Amino acid sequence: MANCAGVQYEPVAEIGGGAYGTVYKARDTESGKFVALKNVRVQTDQNGLPVSTVREVALLKRMEQFDHPNVVRLMDVCATQRSDQETKVTLVFEHVDQDLKTYLEKAPAPGLSADCIKDLMRQLLSGLAFLHSNHVMHRDLKPENILVTSQGQVKLADFGLAKIYSCHMALTPVVVTLWYRPPEVLLQSSYATPVDIWSTGCIFAEMFRRKPLFCGESEMDQLGKIFEVIGLPPQEEWPTDVTVQRKNFPSLKPRPVKDFVPEINEQGAKLLMQMLTFDPLKRISALNALEHPYFQDEETKS
Amino acid sequence: MARSGFCDSKPLLDLHKKADERRAPLRSWTNVCGSVDRCQPVEVEESRTAPVRVEPERRWERRLSTQTAEGIIMGFHEDGRTCKAGYGCMETPVLLYPHGLQGLNNLHALVPSLLRHEVQMALEKLDLIWDGTYAWDMFLYMMRSQIRNTFPNADLPRHFTDATRAVLVDWIIQVHELLQFHEETLYLAIHLLNRSLRQLKVTTANLQLLGMVCLFVASKKVESLLPEVSGLLSLMDHTYTKHQLLRMERKVLCVLNFDLSYCPPLYFLLLFASVARSSAAVEWMARYLLELSLLESQCVVFLPVQLAGAALCLARQVLQECPTAEGEAAWCLASSIHVGSEPTLLRIMHILASAAAKASSRETCASFIKFSSPETLQVSRHPGLNNAAGLLGGCS
Repeated sequence: MANCAGVQYEPVAEIGGGAYGTVYKARDTESGKFVALKNVRVQTDQNGLPVSTVREVALLKRMEQFDHPNVVRLMDVCATQRSDQETKVTLVFEHVDQDLKTYLEKAPAPGLSADCIKDLMRQLLSGLAFLHSNHVMHRDLKPENILVTSQGQVKLADFGLAKIYSCHMALTPVVVTLWYRPPEVLLQSSYATPVDIWSTGCIFAEMFRRKPLFCGESEMDQLGKIFEVIGLPPQEEWPTDVTVQRKNFPSLKPRPVKDFVPEINEQGAKLLMQMLTFDPLKRISALNALEHPYFQDEETKS
Repeated sequence: MARSGFCDSKPLLDLHKKADERRAPLRSWTNVCGSVDRCQPVEVEESRTAPVRVEPERRWERRLSTQTAEGIIMGFHEDGRTCKAGYGCMETPVLLYPHGLQGLNNLHALVPSLLRHEVQMALEKLDLIWDGTYAWDMFLYMMRSQIRNTFPNADLPRHFTDATRAVLVDWIIQVHELLQFHEETLYLAIHLLNRSLRQLKVTTANLQLLGMVCLFVASKKVESLLPEVSGLLSLMDHTYTKHQLLRMERKVLCVLNFDLSYCPPLYFLLLFASVARSSAAVEWMARYLLELSLLESQCVVFLPVQLAGAALCLARQVLQECPTAEGEAAWCLASSIHVGSEPTLLRIMHILASAAAKASSRETCASFIKFSSPETLQVSRHPGLNNAAGLLGGCS
């Protein structure tokens, strides 16, 4: 039983054990509604809660004011002490039963219609543009944390958590999927909001394919699979601050989009390639992606 | 936000001593009330929906003032028409109206590019924005979001009087100055205090701790250099333990739900002063008056923008500087920003004027001393403040 600002939450089930701690589905004992409880354990020293945690959670709270339709509601936050060195911050989010992964799995045979994909993408990007304009990056975007309500409304979850944890958590040896990671993260170069656009590109392709685009088993394997599709980038685009050498990879030409996403239309293919651009600075932004001609033409040929 | 210059060198304050003096009453409550800490969340909920003050019989309309008469109060004139019944009576100035997007668009067309330009310049000067393109949006956001920052009433929890609140705020002002924090940290701290007081049940014994924690949390949001908890404890003469302070921090953050966003009235003041090309003396005077508003619990019902506008108007009236053509034109431009109805502003000005008149003789005089330094142009000692209320005419 968790108690948060006077409200009692009764855990119902464990719904995920992400990189950052366990997520519970719980019931608000007052309203009877379901919520998702995320417990973040942060290291505390003699000066109380770390500044970064205070600021990041405050930022998430501030974003609540805007009530963006494509972002999950953060209903409650509280901090409880676990020990002298550790404080538990509990974030109470609205609970949505279905994520994009199950939504894709449940879709009947030929998969989602082109219009449906376009609608999902528009919502996803508008949620992302909202986060990015508030200097929040998701950093771990994947179908599991893109929620889809029964009315087909997309809601991004788990954003902004990366920063709350990063400095203060003891790294746990959890398996985090590599499939949606952009090259700059795999190469351990510096990164920013374009990481989310790469992940969005991967998810865009997956909506058509109904299976992931790049399923690597290690960082190097993941990079190899990426270059098989987008081609080996030229030397001048290769980041200089990384240890992995470009010459470790075979020289490959980019493949046409239709080879790996046959159902996509012409504008969709163009947008996809702008999202799966190796150089993060050349990758399209969420805001610009929303302006892309793909979203302009109403009629979609499937 | 520029660091306030007066923090660095102050011949006037022996803050340790002063802090001790201030603490005395707080500690005597401690003795009276025992040290049982029974903080519980209470049902009192800060209303986020109804802070717009009702001013029946009046309706205000934006006006780009072309006259420069003395009596202009930030550019709004009574429009004479009596308003329609019921809902329409709400004082809902277009700029402040949260959902009035249509109104905002109309305003867009109305607001002269000059004002937009001035607002942009001011925000850039204040270092509140990086990209001038968004200045106007930022300003509109400031205007809209501040509505969440007021309280429906000035009621304080039981056994907590306006006087005790003032003593606590005065003490926070001293600690704030001692720690050389930014001014916005002070405003945020008092705002957090106001909110916490309404939602937490705190014993009198723990009031001082609550005040310190609000300042501590505010500094975590704003400051780049943070104080050590041990230092804060010694400022409170080790009345509380580290454990108590950290527990209070968690409690405050929980009850505030980690919501630390606040647009302090100081931003509006500096913005207006910049647009109005106010002299250094007027600006310091207004800053002093604005800081006095922190001690007045009745001021929590006003919008930050109203407090700022009233402080600046009063500062001008007190100082009575010789008008210049350029200054008057700039003032007219600043006055075209709607900050509130005339009676509301007059009420605030009266509160501030009477606070300033007795500031030197009151027990809570930290701001008075702070603003009597040469760096602040000794504004708090200005003789005009002794009879500031007289300048405003009879109504109260």
